[in-house]
Amino acid sequence: MSVNLLVPILFTGVSLSAIYILVALGFTLVFGIMRVVNFAHGEFAMMGGFALLFLLDRLALPYWVALPLAAVLVGTVSLLPERLVFRRLYAQELPSMIAALGLSVALAEGAVILFEVHERALPSAFSGLIHIGGFTFPEDRLVVVAIALAALGGFWLFTRIGLALRTVAQDREIAEAQGIDTRATYRITFFLATMLAALGGALFAQIYALSPYMGSVPLMKAFIIVIIGGLGSVPGAALGGVLLGMSESFLNTFYGASVAQFASFGAIILLLVLRPWGLLGRPEG
Amino acid sequence: MKRSILTMGVSAALAVLVGAASGWGEELKVGAIGTLSGGGTEWGLALQRGMTVAVEEINGAGGVKVGGKTYTLKMIMYDDQYTAQGGTTAATRLVNVDAVKYIIGPVGSPPVLGTIAVTNPAKVVVLANGYSPKILTPDSKYNFRIQIPTDLFAPSVASWLRTTYPQSKRVGIISPNDAVGQTLAPLHVKAYNASQFDVVFDEKYDRGLKDFGPLITRMMARGVEIFELDGNAPGEAGLMVKQARQLGYKGVIIQTGGPGMEEIIRVAGPFAEGFLSYDLFDPTDASVQGYVKGYRAKYEGPIPGISVMYYNATRVLHEAFKKADSVDVEKVREALEKLDGAPTIFGPIRWTGQEQYGIRHQLLHDFFISEIKDGKVRVKARVGAGK
Repeated sequence: MSVNLLVPILFTGVSLSAIYILVALGFTLVFGIMRVVNFAHGEFAMMGGFALLFLLDRLALPYWVALPLAAVLVGTVSLLPERLVFRRLYAQELPSMIAALGLSVALAEGAVILFEVHERALPSAFSGLIHIGGFTFPEDRLVVVAIALAALGGFWLFTRIGLALRTVAQDREIAEAQGIDTRATYRITFFLATMLAALGGALFAQIYALSPYMGSVPLMKAFIIVIIGGLGSVPGAALGGVLLGMSESFLNTFYGASVAQFASFGAIILLLVLRPWGLLGRPEG
Repeated sequence: MKRSILTMGVSAALAVLVGAASGWGEELKVGAIGTLSGGGTEWGLALQRGMTVAVEEINGAGGVKVGGKTYTLKMIMYDDQYTAQGGTTAATRLVNVDAVKYIIGPVGSPPVLGTIAVTNPAKVVVLANGYSPKILTPDSKYNFRIQIPTDLFAPSVASWLRTTYPQSKRVGIISPNDAVGQTLAPLHVKAYNASQFDVVFDEKYDRGLKDFGPLITRMMARGVEIFELDGNAPGEAGLMVKQARQLGYKGVIIQTGGPGMEEIIRVAGPFAEGFLSYDLFDPTDASVQGYVKGYRAKYEGPIPGISVMYYNATRVLHEAFKKADSVDVEKVREALEKLDGAPTIFGPIRWTGQEQYGIRHQLLHDFFISEIKDGKVRVKARVGAGK
């Protein structure tokens, strides 16, 4: 394999990994803290894309204002379904899964009613090319990677709230006994998770395209990543994201998308059989 | 007595006014079927607008004058939702409820196949566009195709590329892994080979794929100089254009299909510069200024190329009414088949298709190669189909 082929493949892998990790992180956070499998997670990513489009196109906000604002807006709006749908279903995996599925359909079809079914592109904030060492790198993908890494780093360097989240995840009763408001913790968790999803969705839509049905792709990737990395494990989500992004880039290039999909799901099946708690997760019980 | 005369006079005056408003004569219903919801709406709206401009022109010039009578055209349009079932439902309504004998549209093979399942047994004339080989057959006496299909324009595009880019040799094709891609890709390969190109890369992808980087990277490794986008939808085509340029591809990118230039500009942004496409319409051409004026009087925004095909189809039908001097469907059908040489917006009518489909119901027309320059669509060349 020549360097001319290797470098673009690696770069594609890095940019894919960054976006996937953002989306998967929120997904695993909700499960880890609230024990909810959020099937609507992809739709929150989709909403992030539409929020960014609205802020850039209709309000003409600068990109560096619109992007974080879009994520915060979706996070804020998500507190409504958190209150109406999920709050009664914490730690009830099957009922919450079904409720989330219903929410996912409602959000997607609601987006179709509001925005029609067509795909569209976000206004291009970065359309240049950067040449390094004889290779060409699109500006927008470099920016996406930088933003994703910054968001991950900021999340990882969490302070008191991060400790509280980890405490609640480990033992809710003890956490409450220590004076931690678990309900508020769950709200913050949900807000952060959907904010990360929205950020990932906005970045995904920026590189590719935006449509009401685009949420299924990030959701599927999030599932694969958290199963590989371990449901509820933040480092696992990061590792799973890197493994998935890189393997997809290599397999897609040399063998096509079908083989890449087959390999992803084949790996999941193997892991579920041999190590169901994932690479960095912990066994239940 | 005076009051009676006055009453009669007022009544007569009112009758004149009402008669003028209703176009004087009988109403002649012409059906239209197109996609007005979901994906493909752009085409359905283009059909609706093109046909509306034609109908208003014909009615404004006094209507359809045949057989000693004058008819006012009335357009009745239904949505096919770009499905075969939608085409069947729309055709059923038009034929059985509205009693139409002439239908313009649909656009696209699925709804056309659904439509002709109803219209053929009912002996209703259809002027439509769809590339399926089941649409024009020796038995399809009442179907006419008003837009040239890929097997007719692809060789002409390849020949134009050979002349315009004499140094280029290697072609790469990326197409969807479905009926569209599987049907069209071999036609492009054949067309390019016939013009002494080498198709060194011909790959399919599953619909829904958004990251074409890996495919394009492999394609570039083969030294491709002409990147053919085949039957890709405008959204995917725009992504491929953008990602190819982002990966450093500097060769020709062309889509021998579509067209969907406006959406490609929206998706690819500045990376769309230099993109070439098969196109149906040159808005600066003198022969279409009447249509352009009529369209702009009613609608805003860029004029979709497909709209002019259905404007043309309606005018062709009008020519057939005049030639037949009747609105009887059998006479009009026969007149349509003998319309070669009659004037249209694309020049004299030329029917073809006997050799390819066993029936001479394929309208032959020139087309254009358009280019995206400075973010806008500009016509680069006019090409004769079949040349």
